[in-house]
Amino acid sequence: MSSELIVFLILAAVGVLSGILMITRPNPVNSALFLILNFMALAGLYITLHAQFVAIIQILVYAGAIMVLVLFVIMLLNLEDEEPLREQMSKRHYGSLLVALLALVLIVQVIGWNSGGTLETMREQSPHALRIGTVEHIGSVLFTEHVYPFELTSILLLAAIVGAIVMAKKRFP
Amino acid sequence: MVPIHYYLILSAVMFITGVVGVLTRRNAIIIFMCIELMLNSVNLTFVAFSAYLGNETGQMFVFFIMAVAAAEAAVGLAIVIALFRNRQTVNINDVNILRW
Amino acid sequence: MIESYIPILLIIGIAVIFGVVSINLSWLLGPQRPYREKHSTYESGVDPVSTAHYRFSVKYYMVALSFIVFDIEVVFMYPWAVQFRELGWTGFVVMSVFIVVLAVGFIYELKKGALQWD
Repeated sequence: MSSELIVFLILAAVGVLSGILMITRPNPVNSALFLILNFMALAGLYITLHAQFVAIIQILVYAGAIMVLVLFVIMLLNLEDEEPLREQMSKRHYGSLLVALLALVLIVQVIGWNSGGTLETMREQSPHALRIGTVEHIGSVLFTEHVYPFELTSILLLAAIVGAIVMAKKRFP
Repeated sequence: MVPIHYYLILSAVMFITGVVGVLTRRNAIIIFMCIELMLNSVNLTFVAFSAYLGNETGQMFVFFIMAVAAAEAAVGLAIVIALFRNRQTVNINDVNILRW
Repeated sequence: MIESYIPILLIIGIAVIFGVVSINLSWLLGPQRPYREKHSTYESGVDPVSTAHYRFSVKYYMVALSFIVFDIEVVFMYPWAVQFRELGWTGFVVMSVFIVVLAVGFIYELKKGALQWD
């Protein structure tokens, strides 16, 4: 086994396990902490894909900002635990699990385990991968080819500020 | 080297984990976090294809998805706060006034 | 390649080890003679009433909200700052439009009184 494969398998195991723990913990705070662990594993996976800037942004934005907001809201509402998952396991839950498993089988079948299909040509990373993940390259592409979506992002964020303030403010004047 | 299938299958597993969370949990905030998990698994697919194809468009997409996720977090959690203020609950089974 | 990240891994490892060791070492080395009064919340004070959990005010949410939006703004500014000279005036204009639009949001927030503490 190459060192890349070992690193990938460790990070993948952390990511999947923390994801499963996240959806099974009754306490929302524990769920949020496991989601942060999942984001860390994803940042590591981005590093293995030579996307350094995306990896740093992943930690800065997701683990640093979005999860802070989520934890604030959990404490703001001061929720009790949901009743444990096993008690509320109904016919509908088994149905949804079955549907999800079928979807997973379908996706894996489309990807194909290890051989065949159009992905066969992508057995290893492109030689350009090292270059395109750097901050310099992202800066030069983002502000030349992708200017239009970039400016639209500012409108989106403006809409988000206004919408969130209108909805979360205590009294409407 | 690691073939791209590994990344795609990992991403599929994480996406389905998020789907199961959305379908089984009743707490609006946890459902919201599951949606973040699904967004992230899609991001992983984008970055994997970006690295294996040698094309940076996938990483650009990830930045815009992150901006959308931040906007979604701000508005979505504001909705949760407004909901809690009006109904004193975040259990989505109790919020069924539009269900017919 | 991936081996070049080993120093970062080492720093993460050292940070984790330092945290775990320094917390557990004091527990290990210090004398432990617990009794009931010592374990109460205030050893020589009033007994606590009700729970320690209480609801936060929505003001904290407003601060976190502004943080998240301007965090995204700064994230987009990093690559711009790195490529500042190469992008020239076009990059400057593009970034100015971006900042002005977000400044409108910030002014709205101030005018609405969302950041006022009382």
